[in-house]
Amino acid sequence: MDQEAANQYAGGQEGRLELALALERASAGDSNAFAELVREHQGMVFSIAYHYLQDRSLAEDLAQEVFLELYQNLGRIQSTAHLTFWLRRVTANRCIDQGRKKLRRRELALEESPEPAADDPPSDPLLLQRFRQSLAVLPERQRMVVILRFQEGLGPAEIAEALEMPVNTVKSTLHRSLEELRKGLTRKLREVRYAFF
Amino acid sequence: MHFSDDDLRAALKRKDPGEGFTQRVMARVEQAKAEGKTQPAKKSNGSGFLLGWWKLRPAWALAVAAILLLGFAWGGYEYAEYRHQQIAQQERQRLEDLKPQQEEAEQARDQAILALRIARSKLNHVLEQAQIPVPADKIRRQRL
Repeated sequence: MDQEAANQYAGGQEGRLELALALERASAGDSNAFAELVREHQGMVFSIAYHYLQDRSLAEDLAQEVFLELYQNLGRIQSTAHLTFWLRRVTANRCIDQGRKKLRRRELALEESPEPAADDPPSDPLLLQRFRQSLAVLPERQRMVVILRFQEGLGPAEIAEALEMPVNTVKSTLHRSLEELRKGLTRKLREVRYAFF
Repeated sequence: MHFSDDDLRAALKRKDPGEGFTQRVMARVEQAKAEGKTQPAKKSNGSGFLLGWWKLRPAWALAVAAILLLGFAWGGYEYAEYRHQQIAQQERQRLEDLKPQQEEAEQARDQAILALRIARSKLNHVLEQAQIPVPADKIRRQRL
């Protein structure tokens, strides 16, 4: 067990080192190194956009734009940690801007929310589907706080830094969001029960 | 309705953008490069920071611009007031400096008026004397 943990640690260190080298080479203009950076972070960027916008093509387009912006700003990235932080922040801001442009939250009723493509079988498909629908109607900031908390596993301080909000506001926003999600899910499941019985 | 953090994590699990995403990004980068729209930014020590900030936070930038504008307007008003007071003070100082000269001028005027009065009284006296009739024997004696 200890050996396994040591191997994992060594692997992680090696990965970070490779990423740091790739960042350095990409900053010097190496396209292959930049592609490596994209491969490493595409899951994070795409998932934030996808969970926020609930639309695969929009999310992919937004993720591509984020990486294009990264390419233009590579010289300003100081470390791999800074790269991750920068990508999260830019993706979050772009998602919020995109959401405002489309006014998706106000325009779409719960029933009209597009069904996200299920890539892997969820533990409780109905719950997850209703959860995503409830998430889609949360206000912009609340939705992004929930995504950063549960997709990225960030703490309130990190979320606050990424979204440029006070930590206490993040905590209260998270609390409020979970309450609203809970209410939304309760309402939806009650409707389902009525439909069945 | 109860759901756990694990349910949330499961619902918000990271998704893969699918095959060829990296290639599509690289194609966009190459296209942008070919169009001359993009190139990696050189390492900088914060140059262009304000521009980047402006792009990310236009509302804040507008608020800062409005505050600066108000600040300049207020500063301009305060400066105009200060200049006005300064000019008034200078004028008062100039009048203070002129006071001794003014007093001298007033004294000179008074003396001139006094001199004119004396001259007038002398002249009046001479005229009165000239109008007194002379006796005839005095005139004859003078003829002889």
